[in-house]
Amino acid sequence: MRIWYRNLDVTVIAAWIVLVLFGLIAIYSTTHGPKAEFLLDSVRQNFDRQLLWVGISLVAATVIFLLPVRFYQNAAFPAYILCLVLLVAALMFGPSINGARSWLRFGGVGLQVSELAKVGTVLAVAQLLASRRAQKAPLRFGFLVVLLILIPASIIVLQNDTGTALVFLALIPLMLFWSGFPFATVVLIVSPAVAGYLALVFRPAAFVFSLLVTVWLFLQTRERYIAAFAFLLTAGTTALISLVLPRVLSEYQIARILSFTNPEAEEYRYTVGFHLVQSKAAIGSGGLTGKGFMQGTQTQGDYIPEQSTDFVFSVIGEEFGFVGSLIVLLVFSYLLIRIIAAGVQMKHPFGVMAAAGASGIFLVHLFVNVGMATGILPVIGIPLPFLSYGGSALLANTMMLAVVLNLYMRRDDLSIYGY
Amino acid sequence: MFEYKFRFRVYAGLVIAIIGVLVLRLVWLQIVDSRAYTGESRSNALREVRALPARGVIYDRSGVLMVDNQLRYSVTLTARYFDPQNVSLLASLLNVPDSLVVDRYQRARDWNSFRPSVAFTDLSLDAIGRVEENRYRLPGVGFQISQRRRYLTEANAWHALGYVREIAGNELESRRQSGYRQGDMIGKAGLERTYEEYLRGELGAEFKLVNKLGREFKSFREGDEDVDPVSGYDLHLTLDSKVQALAESLFVNKRGAAIALDPADGGIIAFVSEPSADPRLFSSSVAGSTWVALQTADDKPLFNRATMSGMPPGSTWKPFMSLVGLQKGIITEHTRYQCRGRYVLGNRAFRDFNSVAHGSINVERAIEHSCNSFFFNLMMQLDIDEFKYWATEFGFGQELPVDIGEQQPGLIPDSAYYNRTYPSGWTSGYTINLGIGQGNMTVTPMQLARYVAAIANGGWLHAPHFVDRVVHPETGETIPIDLDPSRRVPIEPRHFETVRNGMSRVVEFTSGRGARIDGIRAGGKTGTAQAPGDAEDHSLFIMFAPLEDPKIAIAVLVENGGQGGRQAAPIAGLIAEQYLKGELSAWSKTRVSYVMTLKSE
Repeated sequence: MRIWYRNLDVTVIAAWIVLVLFGLIAIYSTTHGPKAEFLLDSVRQNFDRQLLWVGISLVAATVIFLLPVRFYQNAAFPAYILCLVLLVAALMFGPSINGARSWLRFGGVGLQVSELAKVGTVLAVAQLLASRRAQKAPLRFGFLVVLLILIPASIIVLQNDTGTALVFLALIPLMLFWSGFPFATVVLIVSPAVAGYLALVFRPAAFVFSLLVTVWLFLQTRERYIAAFAFLLTAGTTALISLVLPRVLSEYQIARILSFTNPEAEEYRYTVGFHLVQSKAAIGSGGLTGKGFMQGTQTQGDYIPEQSTDFVFSVIGEEFGFVGSLIVLLVFSYLLIRIIAAGVQMKHPFGVMAAAGASGIFLVHLFVNVGMATGILPVIGIPLPFLSYGGSALLANTMMLAVVLNLYMRRDDLSIYGY
Repeated sequence: MFEYKFRFRVYAGLVIAIIGVLVLRLVWLQIVDSRAYTGESRSNALREVRALPARGVIYDRSGVLMVDNQLRYSVTLTARYFDPQNVSLLASLLNVPDSLVVDRYQRARDWNSFRPSVAFTDLSLDAIGRVEENRYRLPGVGFQISQRRRYLTEANAWHALGYVREIAGNELESRRQSGYRQGDMIGKAGLERTYEEYLRGELGAEFKLVNKLGREFKSFREGDEDVDPVSGYDLHLTLDSKVQALAESLFVNKRGAAIALDPADGGIIAFVSEPSADPRLFSSSVAGSTWVALQTADDKPLFNRATMSGMPPGSTWKPFMSLVGLQKGIITEHTRYQCRGRYVLGNRAFRDFNSVAHGSINVERAIEHSCNSFFFNLMMQLDIDEFKYWATEFGFGQELPVDIGEQQPGLIPDSAYYNRTYPSGWTSGYTINLGIGQGNMTVTPMQLARYVAAIANGGWLHAPHFVDRVVHPETGETIPIDLDPSRRVPIEPRHFETVRNGMSRVVEFTSGRGARIDGIRAGGKTGTAQAPGDAEDHSLFIMFAPLEDPKIAIAVLVENGGQGGRQAAPIAGLIAEQYLKGELSAWSKTRVSYVMTLKSE
């Protein structure tokens, strides 16, 4: 009899351990440093709570490893429905935390349902695309994928948690890309977002990008209409942002949006740019090797808001410097590529899509979070997977990773239902 | 089965591209531009807590500590971290009105939101304790310990010492470069101001890490970069605190000035301008009403009469006239003049005091009896420009090189002055009064003191000064005082001898008897300066003692005190006795009580 866990990818588990350890170290530093005596008890216990959540996540992962592949395929849609119900419940009954109604309380434990909804949605999309019919009607299924993602995303928007909703939106082109959609279509979907970003940061680049996308799409598809549409979409977004936006929005709102490109400016640095100025100061002053564990002046002085959650990367950048940050990024890149490689090796749409969803979500989180902390993206409040303080996110991300690992470990079972 | 391999490559490429962008960004932030962000984070979290040095203390001539420092406690506000909702809490803890807290909060914010600025000073330990207990509820509130001046002797010497005061608005701006901050004390007048840079010392710095709420939580690099403050230099004065205290007490109910100099070097032994203020008033923040009262009082306590009050010297001028006459050869010590009690010039008669005729009289006797006719006669033979030259030689008509405050140069007229003032012409009748120290001339008490010191020491004009040496309390380093060089009036010593003899007769036999000191011979000269209008004349007296080897030279002015002998002479005599003997005889003590009953009319 073959040992059931013989295909378990321990390198991924090692990567998970490294990331979680970095997170715990950073959280410890923010809660047990020299400033600890001035912290509220509830904040000081953050480290212990996170430790508890690591334990819970480990238990959940173990349970996930024990369940067969079929369970996940069967459970995908019910889990998705359950997630929607929980999201609505949180919207209606949940407490408002930081202006968002995305939490539910079970006894003494708070759960951020939108984090769990990511797992449910990824599984549901994977299960949908695992159907044989998906290959035959890509457009119809593509539409269904978008719908599956948009429903929880809209509830989350209603919950006033735009950051998390954006992650769901970013999932759309990723999932379509892996579902076999023409690559050109995926590029078409992504292009306005890129054009919009460039228009904010450096307008000429947006026009260049618009032209490049148009030419590239034309060369790919040889369809004049698609190329023209792409041009309309990208150039239109650029024009909208650079011409219409200033007329519609007040100067202050524009400033707010633009503040991330120049947070140090006198008019932003103590207001909308405060997070960014402090975060950049923390990371930049870390230098090559950092100021040392519990030695970061920015971290210990509480200058960076949300430094154990959304801005945990600043702590690592400051106290462990470029070396520490690089280790985190390299481990992440290994994890992301390894997950997707595992997915591809499964040779089954359910496995590929689950892996693609997991890797995609981690990638979006990583890019947006570190991009925000280093000041190349606007401040969008989403956590850094595995590192940020927050039990729900840690649990959800670990579960998603565990599901992919489990599917990979039991990929031989999958193949029976595959092609 | 579609091209997973292609998609895998595209996706892996995307992952690597994104992470590559992030790594490049980190290279930029943490390696290329790290220095800038290090600065940013330091300016954030690193607070330079200024360690204030102990201000130099002040000793008198015999090493008696006159002024030192006392700790005072202040509360600081860091505007950014202070929650305006705590205004009333803080106000109630400090026992001040809410509006004051609001005002201080706004001032702190206007200056710098991120730095603590001193908001309330001179708090009691009780108040500090109350705030400390509630500090956890009061982010942005801190403490500072500073110092205030403490005056230890009975001498006020307010016009000499000046005072220190919290640095104010525009001066703060101009001195910011030198490290002054809101709430710092600075010498505002007198010696405190002149020697500010020595007294102040060098600021130290402690580097603390502060959190977002402005709370210090740790010292930076275990204090490796801290700099200890260096105490200020101490001033060792030439003032004698006992003589000073006595001199001040003698001016009770009087307006006037007294200056005592050491004729050997110009060191100021006593420096009185009364009325004055109590320096203790200024050691903490001065109430606005106190200021207004001091500034508007009729007897002008802030006005430094010793250096600012100009008046004709009256008969104290006669030794000067004698010296010039002797040196110029207009008279010799034996030249006799026939005094008939008046001097007739044209159809005008210039009278002696009470029209007393002194008969045949030489220069010594002319000084002794303050014979006007003698000096009218002398003046008639002296060219007005010559007069001006010699007065200038004695330091009149110009500001003196003193190490404090403002001065009046006084006025010594010359022919150009008379041409200007009387364009239609003038005669010697206009200038003859100058011979007895009246008319169009003014001198200050300080100038008189230096002049009588020169008579006492045979013609040496020294720069009057308060500070003998500036010494560092820890290193003992002594900074020499940069005085203007002394110069000598070009008059032969024997003429000074003659004049001193005349002046000794004044104290011995005539108008200066009130200044007599038991067992010590002295020289002096009374003067009566005409006050404007119907007011009582100003009482003047110049004096030196002992006659044989003068150790002290004194000029005394009592405004509206009548004739020089009445009020000014006893004051000068008592000052000299205190200085020369170190104490007053029983008899002199009763005279002190008597002098204290005399008034400026």
